[in-house]
Amino acid sequence: MSVLTGKELRIVGFLCNWCSYGGADTAGTARAAQPTDLRIIRVPCSGRVNPLFVLKALMHGADGVLVSGCHPRDCHYSSGNFYARRRLEMLKDFLPIVGIDPERFEYTWVSASEGQRWKEVVTSFTDRIHRLGPAPRWADIKPRYDLPFNQPEKLLEPIRPLGCGENPSLGELKQAIRDALAAKPGADGRKLEGVLGWKRGFDAVHAEPVFMQTPEDVDELVWGPFNVHNLANFLPQYKGRKIGVVVKGCDSKGLIELLAEDLIKRDDVVIFGMGCNGTVSESRIRARLPENAVIEAARGQGATLVVSASGQDFELPMKDLAQDKCRQCVKPNALVSDRFVGRPVTEPEAPADDRSGALRFLDDLTLEERMGFWKGQMERCIRCYACRSACPMCVCRDHCVSDSRDPQWLTQDDDVLQKMFFQLIHAQHLAGRCTGCGECQRACPMGIPVFALKQQFSRMIKNVFGYAAGMDPTATPPLLTYQVEEPNIKERELS
Amino acid sequence: MKIGVFVCHCGSNIEATVDTAAVAKMALGYPDVAFATDSMYTCSEPGQEGIVQAIREHGLDGVVVASCSPRMHEPTFRRTVERAGLNRYMFEMANIREHVSWIGKDREANTNKAAELVRLAVEKLRRDRPLHAKQFDVTKRVLVIGGGVAGIQAALDAAEGGVEVVMVERESTIGGKMAKLDKTFPTIDCSSCVLSPKMVDVAQNPNITLYAYAEVESISGFVGNFTVTIRRKATYVDWSLCTGCGSCTEKCPSRHTPDAFNEKVGETTAINIPFPQAIPKKAVINAEHCRKLKSGKCGVCAKVCPTGAIRYDMQDELVTEQVGAIIAATGYDFMDWTVLGEYGGGRLPDVVTSLQYERMMSASGPTGGHIHRPSDGREPKKVVFIQCVGSRDRSIDRPYCSGFCCMYTAKQAILTRDHIPDSQAFVFYMDIRAPGKMYDEFTRRAIEEYGVNYVRGRVSAIQPAMRPDGSMGYIVRGADTLLGQQVEVDADLVVLAVGIEGSRGAGHLAETLRISYDKYGFFMERHVKLAPVETNTAGVYLAGVCQGAKDIPASVAQGSAAAAKVLSLFSKPKLENDPQISVVDIKRCVGCGKCIRVCPYQAIKETVIRGETKAEVVETVCQGCGLCTATCPQGAIQVAHFTDNQILAEVNALCLS
Repeated sequence: MSVLTGKELRIVGFLCNWCSYGGADTAGTARAAQPTDLRIIRVPCSGRVNPLFVLKALMHGADGVLVSGCHPRDCHYSSGNFYARRRLEMLKDFLPIVGIDPERFEYTWVSASEGQRWKEVVTSFTDRIHRLGPAPRWADIKPRYDLPFNQPEKLLEPIRPLGCGENPSLGELKQAIRDALAAKPGADGRKLEGVLGWKRGFDAVHAEPVFMQTPEDVDELVWGPFNVHNLANFLPQYKGRKIGVVVKGCDSKGLIELLAEDLIKRDDVVIFGMGCNGTVSESRIRARLPENAVIEAARGQGATLVVSASGQDFELPMKDLAQDKCRQCVKPNALVSDRFVGRPVTEPEAPADDRSGALRFLDDLTLEERMGFWKGQMERCIRCYACRSACPMCVCRDHCVSDSRDPQWLTQDDDVLQKMFFQLIHAQHLAGRCTGCGECQRACPMGIPVFALKQQFSRMIKNVFGYAAGMDPTATPPLLTYQVEEPNIKERELS
Repeated sequence: MKIGVFVCHCGSNIEATVDTAAVAKMALGYPDVAFATDSMYTCSEPGQEGIVQAIREHGLDGVVVASCSPRMHEPTFRRTVERAGLNRYMFEMANIREHVSWIGKDREANTNKAAELVRLAVEKLRRDRPLHAKQFDVTKRVLVIGGGVAGIQAALDAAEGGVEVVMVERESTIGGKMAKLDKTFPTIDCSSCVLSPKMVDVAQNPNITLYAYAEVESISGFVGNFTVTIRRKATYVDWSLCTGCGSCTEKCPSRHTPDAFNEKVGETTAINIPFPQAIPKKAVINAEHCRKLKSGKCGVCAKVCPTGAIRYDMQDELVTEQVGAIIAATGYDFMDWTVLGEYGGGRLPDVVTSLQYERMMSASGPTGGHIHRPSDGREPKKVVFIQCVGSRDRSIDRPYCSGFCCMYTAKQAILTRDHIPDSQAFVFYMDIRAPGKMYDEFTRRAIEEYGVNYVRGRVSAIQPAMRPDGSMGYIVRGADTLLGQQVEVDADLVVLAVGIEGSRGAGHLAETLRISYDKYGFFMERHVKLAPVETNTAGVYLAGVCQGAKDIPASVAQGSAAAAKVLSLFSKPKLENDPQISVVDIKRCVGCGKCIRVCPYQAIKETVIRGETKAEVVETVCQGCGLCTATCPQGAIQVAHFTDNQILAEVNALCLS
């Protein structure tokens, strides 16, 4: 349906049945004249409004979206609007990173008796949208394909020395795992079934996960810059079984978040931790070798990785190879462990500007340039969902909404906007839960910087709720709880 | 699917600014629409008959009516389609009156908007499924929280209707605020003479179980089947033995215990029976002031008690009751007026609250019905009443009217002139609000018959002052807005009509009951006009001032109304739930428990199906808010009739096509 040309813009409203819908009725009964643009979708409660509905509307051609519910404390369902307030506030903060003007979205509270206020809300919001004009359409945006922040000279300097040498404690770690596997059943009568770790992968610069059950398996364990996989990812599928896992600092955060969400039980996991000196990006190694070079061997020499490929040695400094997340890592040691092996790595101070290279780049773009950036990047997406498979917090597994018809959030069209919308779903589902392991981006075979979307949520969550996921197993993710008084969310008056 | 669309003219209410025939014509182009027409008054008898006919003739399996707000006529039309043999939930409304025709005059824009709203309704209806209510048993007992006049009335009416009542009262006696009043307006009849017989009825009714000096600890369950845990606070007196003889209160040496019943006008003993007509008339020890409980030395009451009822080692006790409905009648408290500096901030001894003044006038009060001012015990000759102390005052965020102060102030002014014939009474008021039966006549009597001086204006300060004769008085400075000048009134005693707020602890109780409340502690009714007794939690009803300011007749009426609601609820052999609730798709649920965390009603629980953890909705508890649906990442839990696909279809209809 097209809007009345020249007269109206497309404005979608989500109104809770009890207060705001009633308030709009009251305004109508009072014959309070209002602009005609708004189309109201009735929902039971503002808490019913999945922020993704708003994103759906804004990405698909709405010029403005308004959500209105009962005033805080007056929720018909007692607390629905408290959740809505947190989620919608985060959504508003999120919008700029994908290139949507946050002014195009607003949420407010109107009671069933506030007909006059409803009129003022509709009028002022409609005026605002007309002032902003028609929203830039995804289809019309010029795509942008470059990734300047990935160029070698643009990489951020690591905030601590990164290394790739042999870890002297690896032997000790192996022994600890062998001992744990050989140990008699514990007080709970259960024996350790196996331990998740890494072994050498298909070539010398790759590792792959291994499930160690025998002492011979343990011999294969490696520790070093290729141990990129976040093994916490595998734990939920072993729920109820006694499993060991080897973790780096970042992996341990994922593990803690799984504990916090009760997706795994602390008694079920035996955690082996070591200090991490940084991991590498495989594509950055490749980029520094001749095309089609066959990698024969790799060895670490302090902060330099020496790669032998096609009969030649290449000395590659870690600072050129490290993953972006390692460059600003302040928690290299496992935050939780039953057995911490070796000396902890010195933890650096958090940098004043802890934004990733991608966020710094995006922050400097205009809104339209950002939308163009994502449009260009997502054109490469092959819909393999490696990002989802690698994410330890993607607990839906085979039931992801991306493949579902009920609900059907996405079509199966090979359409860039559908691909983009999946990334928005992923980011929204991880809001307040993402521990920043960056596995989504590391796993992407097309090198799409999807991690930045989660980072945008994470920094906003940190600003507003002072919360970082994966630090405290007793914490509740901020979008799954609320406070009656939100000190950092200002009331939205809108009139 | 075959959908019928009916576009209502609503006389000229819609037709004047919407081309309904054009809307109906456009609707014929929407998917699955097999029939569309416009009609004069769709909700009228012939209008509804038209729907029934069309369903039968065209074999429709769903109906959209575009007319007024669904909050108005959705139930009407659901019954209509049901009459024609459809499931009542195969129906959607497009609100083209309140949201279209009444708010804009541009016929072209309105017609286009109405057509779009019809399109939304059609898209939603295409994804509706027939829903069927579930039946469940009901426990025909009711919990009444609060034993003021509203709660008493509710309890007596329910008990009279043959329902067992459990009454919980926080204080050691029922009676509430009304028991503290000397007289009541507009008849000046004795408050306790009216109330006491009702209190006695509560005690004697075999259908009523009274827990006085007790509070609701927790509530679980749902309409028809609540489990209530009640904390019986330690009274240190075995009430099964206490005869209320009062020997203990005569001999108790702790005579400086603040007298809560008498609003701290005067003092009482640590072991105490609040007033002679108390129900139950049993003694309670105030542990904060009892010498025996504080220091272990004393025990006088135990020595004098003729039945040996004193138990210094008594502990709180928890009891559990099963009920099918709950009536909250928790009343009110006064706002903290001492924050208001213009009235002395609580530091002036002869500035009292109206309820304190009520106790000073009561024959059973601490002064035996003789008015003495607190500072020197002298009889006041000039009494100034100030209304709206903390009411209708936006500057302190108290915008609402406390309702009954105008009337009791007039009553107290009349009584002052009665008690002390040579006295003068002044009333500072904002507006006199006397809308009840015989109310305006009553205030006129105060002014015309009793010569009470009404001054329209606010008070800016109360200052103590020594008069030329050496006596102490107060200068009340204010404005007379009718004369347009400042006034100063000499006063012996100042009585404040302090604004009310929800009872202390009301918010906590509301959370326990899972009902909404406003920031002043008043409970929210389900609909401000059409459901003033119900709450948004099924089976929980409201009576009296806990819902908002009202006087005694209105509180009694609402008590009766709440009881009637309970009786009608219990009149059915089984209850039916609203089937517009959440449903878990067991195949998709991964058991992550996020829905359980956020559900405001604890209506979702974990269950294990073939070894896998899944969520399960307790159908009778779920209220259908859809918070779980917005939370579930897989979309495995969907609230019926507001599913993701329905809302997405509406969004897509607006944005994509």
